[in-house]
Amino acid sequence: MRGCVRLSVVLAAATLTLAGCGGDDDEAEPAGESGAGASTGESADISGTTMTFVSWGGTYQDAQEQTMTTPFAEARGVEFLQDGPTDYAKIKTQVEAGQVTWDVIDMDPYFAIQQCNKLLVPIDTSVVDTSKMPPELVSECAVPSMVYSTANYYNADKFGDGPPTDWADFFDTEKFPGKRAVFNDSQGGALEAALMADGVAEEDLYPIDYDRAFAKLDTIKDDLIFWDEGAQAQQMIETGEADMVMAWLGRGYTAIKNGANYEPVWNGAQGVYDVFTVPKGSKNEAAAMEFISYATGAEAQTGLAEALPYAPINSDADPQVDELLASFLPTKPEISEQMVTIDQDWWAANKDEADQLWTSWTGG
Amino acid sequence: MPGWLRQAFGDRWLLLVVPTLAFLLIFFGYPVVQMLLRSVQEPTSGLGNYELFFQTEVYVKILRRTVTTAIIVTVVCLALAYPYAYLMSIVSRRWRIVLLAVVLLPFWTSLMVRTYAWIILLQDTGIVNDVLERAGIGRQSLIRNTLGVTIAMAQILLPFMVLPLYAVMQGIDRRLVQAAESLGANPAKAFLRIYVPLSMPGVIAGATLVFILSLGFYVTPALLGSPQNAMLSQLIVQQVSTLLNFGMGGTMAAILLAVILVILLGISRVVRPSAAYDAVGPR
Repeated sequence: MRGCVRLSVVLAAATLTLAGCGGDDDEAEPAGESGAGASTGESADISGTTMTFVSWGGTYQDAQEQTMTTPFAEARGVEFLQDGPTDYAKIKTQVEAGQVTWDVIDMDPYFAIQQCNKLLVPIDTSVVDTSKMPPELVSECAVPSMVYSTANYYNADKFGDGPPTDWADFFDTEKFPGKRAVFNDSQGGALEAALMADGVAEEDLYPIDYDRAFAKLDTIKDDLIFWDEGAQAQQMIETGEADMVMAWLGRGYTAIKNGANYEPVWNGAQGVYDVFTVPKGSKNEAAAMEFISYATGAEAQTGLAEALPYAPINSDADPQVDELLASFLPTKPEISEQMVTIDQDWWAANKDEADQLWTSWTGG
Repeated sequence: MPGWLRQAFGDRWLLLVVPTLAFLLIFFGYPVVQMLLRSVQEPTSGLGNYELFFQTEVYVKILRRTVTTAIIVTVVCLALAYPYAYLMSIVSRRWRIVLLAVVLLPFWTSLMVRTYAWIILLQDTGIVNDVLERAGIGRQSLIRNTLGVTIAMAQILLPFMVLPLYAVMQGIDRRLVQAAESLGANPAKAFLRIYVPLSMPGVIAGATLVFILSLGFYVTPALLGSPQNAMLSQLIVQQVSTLLNFGMGGTMAAILLAVILVILLGISRVVRPSAAYDAVGPR
């Protein structure tokens, strides 16, 4: 009996060693040298490449496919693979293992700021024209892909006459009884909303006073429910699961378009945006930069804004949209002047700590 | 065959175990060992992650809650599965197939679909609550709490309990129960003293399986529960996916593994470990 156990161990160990040998030989390709050739403004010849575009799925990625990757693929002779949703752990694993399969990733700006030059490469500004973008949205490793907002969508059946007008009303369950829903993430906007409801002015929001924010959130804790996926927020609005839902623009708009009798509160709505990035070790870096240049151009941005109420980041874009969509665009002056901007640099530095505190508060 | 090989393998058919062993070691053992190593290497070397885990009150609370929820789900599953498996063992062959199909059919649909179906059924504005309201009981909170999670997990894990129970029960000779009654025991006593102990191997197999599965279950508690009853699996996902803290994620996984091993050890003190494998009793 002992003999056969010994042999099985030896054979298995041999197989293990053989399997283990293959893993470490690939190293991440050196980054940064591929962008130098396009400095004259002529587009590099990238036909024949196959790139992977990664975003958040759903109607957003469908619209991106329709207005960005497909026209670009046709014009430049490249092929696109769609993947998603964006998963930060996957990016880290890919870059660490030197096996990067993703080329262009749509992600949150705080992560792009946090991981610049660690997991992401700097954007090649000789290829990507950043002059038409709002400068505060551009960072070393990321350019904005679109602008959206997080706002309070309230049940107009219940609160139609005498609707909520600001975040204080979101936290007032006496005047507006009913459930509240927020994104289950520290940077979902609930902390900023709580501070604003407690009377903090926009300029004083950061650094976030956690104690004050959590104390305010405690006042509605019994009525508070959480959503983890955008689709859940949309479903909550459509089924009326919560009477006030703090949701993303695209989800709120789609739910209302589908017939939900909910209305947004623009006063204090939080301005957020997504960014395009390229991971370190991507095998198609030059092509990725060319794509980003196209996707942030006027044509693609106009197209996207006409499909979904995500505001274009290119000042030349001129979307023609229907009334309902137009009433949702964050760049509309009446809306943008009421909005509050989330400080992505602060979040890049403090997300980890905020996450720990958020978990303690929600889990307790 | 060379002498040393014949000597090492008393029976050459034992060589057939090598591919499976290698597969498990490479695709299961190696990644698990990797994660365990990361838990003591990232972000700093040593047991810092483990210390941090047990010092953080909310983490320990979540661990306790995970074990408690798993126990509740196991008990509920057992309560539902035992009569069902018993019924399956006494009916005719045709009905047995029907009963088996009823339990297995949901098993063949996607887990995500089943979980979302439960959300739609149990939500505040859902069908179950509509029925409860018409019946005069009033709307109850059926999701975002342990109740909803238990209901959904019990249904999803039911086949894992029913099948081992049935496998054992079909091998139990019911004439033994009749014999006990003829010797003077009332039906209830005969059932409890003869049938139930004979069905124990199935109970242990099913309960162990369901318990271990519920400890690690992610999708259903994540979607049906609220953060207030988060389980350890959700915490691990947060550490790995959001915080990119693979070290802490590995630590939590290692602790969960340790909990399972300790509980299995405890069970094996009470019951013979091989009792779970005795599928068929003496005929």
